[in-house]
Amino acid sequence: MKQIVNIEVNGDVHEVAAEPRDSLLEVLRDHLGLVGPKRGCDGGGCGCCTVLLDGRAVYSCMVYVLSAEGSAVTTVEGLAEDGQLNPLQSAFVEAGAVQCGYCTPGMIMTATELLADGEDLDDDEIRHGIAGNLCRCTGYQKIVDAVQNVARNR
Amino acid sequence: MTESAVIGKSALRDDAYEKVAGGQGYPVNVKYPGMLHAKILRSHHPHARVVRIDAARAERLPGVKAVLLPKDAPQKAYSPVYFVPTLAASMVQDMLVLSERVRYVGQPLAAVAATTPAIAEAALELIEVDYEELPVVFDPELAMRDDAPQIHDGVPNNIAAHPKFEFGDLEQGFAEADYIFEGTYETQRVHTCYMEPRVCVVDVDSRGRVTVESSMQHLFGLREKLAFVLDIPESRVRVVKPPYIGGGFGGKLDLGYIEPIAALLSMKTGRPVRIEQSRYEDFISSARHPIKVYLKTGVTKDGIFTARYGKSILDTGAHATHGAEVINVHGFFGFLLTYPCQNQTWEGYTVYTNNMVGGGFRGYGAPQGAFAVESQIDEICEKIGMDPIEFRLKNSRAEGDPHPFNPEFTLSSYRFEECLRRGAAQFGWVNREDRTRTENTKKRGVGLACQPMWVSGCLGFPDIYEHSGAIVKLNRDGTADLAVATIDLGSGQNTTLRQIAAEELGISVEAVHITQSADTETVPFDAPSHASRVTYSAGNAVKGAAEAAKERLLEVAGTMLEADPQDLEVREGRVSVKGSPSGGISVGAVVERAESPFVQMTAVGPQPTTVAEKGTIIGVSSMAPASNPSPATAQFVEVEVDTETGEVVILRAVFAHDLGKLINPMGAQGQVEGGFQQGMGYALMERLQFDPENGACLTPDFLDYKMPTAVEMPRRIESIFIESNEPTGPFGAKSLAEPCVIVPAPAIANAVFDAIGVRIRQLPITPEKVLAALGKLEAN
Ligand code: FES
Ligand code: FES
Repeated sequence: MKQIVNIEVNGDVHEVAAEPRDSLLEVLRDHLGLVGPKRGCDGGGCGCCTVLLDGRAVYSCMVYVLSAEGSAVTTVEGLAEDGQLNPLQSAFVEAGAVQCGYCTPGMIMTATELLADGEDLDDDEIRHGIAGNLCRCTGYQKIVDAVQNVARNR
Repeated sequence: MTESAVIGKSALRDDAYEKVAGGQGYPVNVKYPGMLHAKILRSHHPHARVVRIDAARAERLPGVKAVLLPKDAPQKAYSPVYFVPTLAASMVQDMLVLSERVRYVGQPLAAVAATTPAIAEAALELIEVDYEELPVVFDPELAMRDDAPQIHDGVPNNIAAHPKFEFGDLEQGFAEADYIFEGTYETQRVHTCYMEPRVCVVDVDSRGRVTVESSMQHLFGLREKLAFVLDIPESRVRVVKPPYIGGGFGGKLDLGYIEPIAALLSMKTGRPVRIEQSRYEDFISSARHPIKVYLKTGVTKDGIFTARYGKSILDTGAHATHGAEVINVHGFFGFLLTYPCQNQTWEGYTVYTNNMVGGGFRGYGAPQGAFAVESQIDEICEKIGMDPIEFRLKNSRAEGDPHPFNPEFTLSSYRFEECLRRGAAQFGWVNREDRTRTENTKKRGVGLACQPMWVSGCLGFPDIYEHSGAIVKLNRDGTADLAVATIDLGSGQNTTLRQIAAEELGISVEAVHITQSADTETVPFDAPSHASRVTYSAGNAVKGAAEAAKERLLEVAGTMLEADPQDLEVREGRVSVKGSPSGGISVGAVVERAESPFVQMTAVGPQPTTVAEKGTIIGVSSMAPASNPSPATAQFVEVEVDTETGEVVILRAVFAHDLGKLINPMGAQGQVEGGFQQGMGYALMERLQFDPENGACLTPDFLDYKMPTAVEMPRRIESIFIESNEPTGPFGAKSLAEPCVIVPAPAIANAVFDAIGVRIRQLPITPEKVLAALGKLEAN
């Protein structure tokens, strides 16, 4: 039986009819057409689907959409400011942190939460911070560099 | 040679801007109007005959549009491997899209197309299947015995392929040896772990024309195999090139079950059909083959090989797929060609079992070979008291030597020695006896490993496609569109190809754009993105197309500048007489002239033009490269082994690679860093595991299949690129991609030995194996 959920996504309020078993990821991708969050495993193992849920980085494949009623979601599509990439997105491009790019939106959302706490971040803290996001292309080095560049320059 | 404007300078990737903003261009995002979703019913038994299959209840479920059973699928045997002609004699044609005989857990048995994925999934539960179970065998050595269950009819001892090569006189070589070493080295089944699942949409229209979009590594291979399986002419299949895919690494180098199943369901329903594999389905679709390598090696006390014998047993699982080819690449590039020796014999066995099938994975047989050969060299050096760098240099080839695989070529650029020497210098390599040792429970050690011979494509390999094509079209704003069939798996090859075109055309890299739309109808044939071949092979084709476009550009510019085209050059987007860059005209103005009406409006008023100038400025090429130059590689690592927990931590990694001319430094570093992660995962943690009784996959997700996260990785991976000029390469370049993955495992194994003094000859080197080797745990 479908139920109505109200969620705010990237500043827009949506009313969505969803099945109880539908994940937030499914609703974002298949109902709202936001393809930034990626399905890499559908089981909480890869992090490609990471979004911010009320400011917290979550695996959207592991969140039942009904439990997100009334929440605010940010996907990678919601980061650009006035049509310009935000500093973290630009840092990923410039550091060479993007290869196939499939992990990138999730990685950026996790790093967004990490950077939001305002503390200085050293290499180890960044590595532990992104340990829930897998990348098979980059060996993570340039991803760590990108996050560090933003942490240093803010 | 004049200084390069573009080559050798890090270029930012065009696609990265789009990928950080969301990433639209992946096959996983493709949707067609009216599209159905299909799911696949897979066998629960490792070996069985289906005696009854009844889908009546599934068909009645509301929302189900079609069910596909073995009787509905063509019973035409095929090999799914993309890069060979479908009926190539070297490949084994032993697969069916759907069969009533299942040979591994997870083999497709039926499929359902429905209006939603959830309905399709629910319908699978309603299909009733009765099996007659057959005897099983999971161990390839048991499968080779006379009394083993037969997995394919007419294949005695389950041996799908048995190549053997002999050079010189092995017995004589062993007679000349001062020492003989024997050892057995085993590797495990690992998955490429591309992040984007295998996914496709297939649409068959009312005239039977098939359009396919898929996450895969070879446009033309998919067209050829799918047309073969469906028994229709190739020209009726149009494969659309994805702007990008979410990784491949060899794991998408063959026709999946999903494309033919989706095509058959689309034919049945008249609607587009999409299939996305779950991560479990991906894990059982393709893997690097486990190979058990037995080595017997003779050396003199001065450290010269006198005889080398190798025997390799490859577990190809239920079907041959890549196994019949991997075994040969493994034999040649993993063993026979690595170090010269007069007396060598190698034989390989590709053996059927009731395990999952294998596939491509960066290195294609070489990682298994390198683990054996490079580990054994370390054992030899330990025994005869020789430094492993010195040993390798005594047994190596040099620039100018004949190419050992293609004797008609020479090693025209080859810097193996420099890889070892510069790598050692940067790493700070010291002889074993001079190393400082700690007394605490955490032991440090260093190790090295090499891949002395590798490929820049497949030229010279029998049965393997090796040619590329490109189209370069200049625009009136001075930019160029570059159309190629080769798919960027994520490595950044598009940027490299843009750099090559830009350098040749004399325009900026930002001015070269790879066309977003291309398909098998519009671009020239290309072999797959595999075998470390794109920079070299496709790069040569791109350069050829750019040269052709430039020739035409200079002809038109010649009429405008009243100069002989031979005297003109293009730099920074302007055409001018050589040596006087201040005069001249922009590339855009030349294109505008070529595409103008006969009277062109210019700043100085209307100007007449001539017929000879007219036409789009375009260059096309389709060619095989002139050679197959070998790169060379050396990897150095330092590890710390915790003798209490068995944990191995990588402290440092230095990688030295001879790649000819370096085109994009940042892109090349990315290959090395990502390659190290894959090699390190292979060395220490990754392993697909299966229930020994019923063959079910025990590691079907990333919680159970462990690959390195950012935390386990060494804090810095250092890349050293040894440059030279490969005369047949585009601007002197050859290859990089695969050796990055091949060498980490043996280097790590050698470092673990250096640290704790025990040798582990079975990957992965888990804490349990370390503790067992130290006598602190019962080995199981
Ligand atoms: S798709 Fe959600 S964690 Fe992998
Ligand atoms: S860039 Fe490919 S998985 Fe991270």
